[in-house]
Amino acid sequence: MLEDVMHRRAFVLASCGAFASAWLATDPGKLGASLAHAARVRAGRGAQAWEFFTVDQAADVDAISAQILPTDDLPGAREAGVAQFLDHSLSTWAQGQRDDFTSGLDDLNRRVGDRWPGVGRFATLSSERQIELLRVVEQTPFFQMMRFATIAGTFANPSWGGNRDKAGWRILGFEDRFFWEPPFGDYDADVTGSGK
Amino acid sequence: MRVSGSPSARFRPRDLVDVVVVGSGAAGGIVAKELATAGLTVVVLEQGPRLERQQFEHDEFKYFFRNGIVNDPERQPQTFAPTPDQQAKRGAGRLMYARLVGGGSVHFTANYWRFHEIDFVEASRHGSISGTGFADWPITYADLEPYYTKAEWELGVSGVPGPFDAPRSRAYPLPPMPVKASGVLFEEASRRLGLHPQPVPLAILSEPFGGRMACHHCGFCLGFGCEFGAKSATLYTVIPVAEATGRCEIRPQSYVRRIEIDERTGRATGVIYFDEQKIEQRQRTRSVVVCANGAETPRLLLMSRSNRFPDGLANSSGLVGKYLMFNGYCTAGGTFERLLNEWKSVTASRMIHDFYDADPARGFYGGGGIDARFAGYPMGFALGGVIGTLGPDMPTWGADYKRLLRESYSRTMYAACHTTSLPLAANAVSLDPTLKDDWGQPALRFTYQDHPDDLATMRFLQAKALAILEAAGARRAWADPVNPSTFAVHLLGTCRMGDDPRTSVVDRYNRTHDVRNLFLCDGSSFVTSGRGQPTCTIQALAYRAGEHIAQFARRGEI
Repeated sequence: MLEDVMHRRAFVLASCGAFASAWLATDPGKLGASLAHAARVRAGRGAQAWEFFTVDQAADVDAISAQILPTDDLPGAREAGVAQFLDHSLSTWAQGQRDDFTSGLDDLNRRVGDRWPGVGRFATLSSERQIELLRVVEQTPFFQMMRFATIAGTFANPSWGGNRDKAGWRILGFEDRFFWEPPFGDYDADVTGSGK
Repeated sequence: MRVSGSPSARFRPRDLVDVVVVGSGAAGGIVAKELATAGLTVVVLEQGPRLERQQFEHDEFKYFFRNGIVNDPERQPQTFAPTPDQQAKRGAGRLMYARLVGGGSVHFTANYWRFHEIDFVEASRHGSISGTGFADWPITYADLEPYYTKAEWELGVSGVPGPFDAPRSRAYPLPPMPVKASGVLFEEASRRLGLHPQPVPLAILSEPFGGRMACHHCGFCLGFGCEFGAKSATLYTVIPVAEATGRCEIRPQSYVRRIEIDERTGRATGVIYFDEQKIEQRQRTRSVVVCANGAETPRLLLMSRSNRFPDGLANSSGLVGKYLMFNGYCTAGGTFERLLNEWKSVTASRMIHDFYDADPARGFYGGGGIDARFAGYPMGFALGGVIGTLGPDMPTWGADYKRLLRESYSRTMYAACHTTSLPLAANAVSLDPTLKDDWGQPALRFTYQDHPDDLATMRFLQAKALAILEAAGARRAWADPVNPSTFAVHLLGTCRMGDDPRTSVVDRYNRTHDVRNLFLCDGSSFVTSGRGQPTCTIQALAYRAGEHIAQFARRGEI
């Protein structure tokens, strides 16, 4: 689904502008982020038990996502739990995408070996080298899938297993509530005269 | 919210009912209510599920990326090509619609613009446009005005009339929604530019109305169902009234594949559909009203071909499926110094109609409106709201990207342009010759290519939108690329209305020219596209058609 999403994103974005980019929909209704899993992730369970990834793959995914949305004074993809989100997605509703991710990770690590022989895997590279390599591959379908997964795992509703402690929404200043009152922002507050 | 204790009717498929309505959306819900309250027995067949308001969620991933409440391209595939001579490909384009009881009225933005007087008589005013099906409607704004008013007062609409509005017989029932930060910036800047901003009329309750709660400003309008029932969807308004008559059954998970015709009399006698278990059922009926939207209505007629109607039901004109129109849509964006928090409250609060009318001096046909609106939900913004818009030099990942998201999400707004589409015979819905859906039925195929004037209109409006954002003092303002349309949610024109059976599919009362007891009422009836907000006119047409169908039934004329 993730690669598919990127294709659709391209045409939707091209045809309908920014907002409609949100209107891309992916494959079928195999709905079912397991809420139990999400609750488990939220509760924390000590040593991570991965459902699909090997420990090495999980470390690579975590490192890639943390380069896409790094941690600064606010949490990033790592704190949002993108690796756990993706691991769980590939174990449930996105099983059809498993090969795309594993072969993409294999290819990335081949590039690591070619570039810096004997260093090991992507996750063990220095941050500078990680960025250098990701710049090389940023136009590949694999990187675009990782970018989509990072965004979904950071900004989607926490019920999908990512966006832990609403880390992603804190980056944006977004808050999911059922109830707001005007004024909503600074410019309307200026006019209505009431402070925020 | 069902009317409590209402004895919703239940019919068996073998019961002969007065009317089957196909589709329970913006139009179908109204037609069902009009006919049931007029004393007719009604079964509404809806392909999607029935969700109550408590079941709607703030879940962007599910609703926007997992087809939460819309048609599913895996189970209901579509094929697309820009022109009929090209091979249509699966996944190359998409016609999207809500698939649940209440249809598009549940998930729409709730922009509720009436058409202007010019929309109905544009061809005679501007002259024909060669190579297009540009034509006048058989009815005028004055014919439809009472039904616009009825829609606004029965459903609940918040607004105040603007300087370019057509005359109205009654004020809006509710005052406009509170202005947003984007509305304040847009209003001040457009006034400075000599334009005439006005509050956006919205089918959302600014105050309690008709036993329903007012809007709580949660921000999840576009693409979502309202958990408060404050959006005036047919699900919360007319459908409960229809059911309370005891003569109307809403039957969800009922996917219609064929309208049956008596080959001798040429009359519709039944509707064949798949129930939730994909078991075929046949509902007997005295008449049929198809309100399945501008994509599925023509598809159903084309799937209902028979010896008597070899080219598709009610298609003696050959125009079923033709003249598909989308409405042009494009945006300019702006990021400001201070907080807008556009993710709160309704999608849009101010708009201009200064460029609504076409003007020959521009050198092309077309016009539209511009509204000031939010910058999208979190995932959509992070995916495309920034990178698609700020240009190729902007970061799409890394520390700078994160900083950009962080600084801009709550400080960004869009000025969105909603424009005309010309009716072209080559832009059409048809049946794919090979691909089938999950029910074994022919997949929907469509072709679409914007008329050069449609693209010129979008660029023209977009330049105005950009100028407004710059005048508003945006720290950064940009125009998004205007590209050919391959995706649409406004599905219009495919069974057009007219007096001449050779050049139209339905008459001025939405009755098909070919089948006396078959009516079509939804976006497919449109002769011209309007300027981007079709739901108000779809619903006014539905009230008008419902009233006339009830009269025809009373007089034994069906």
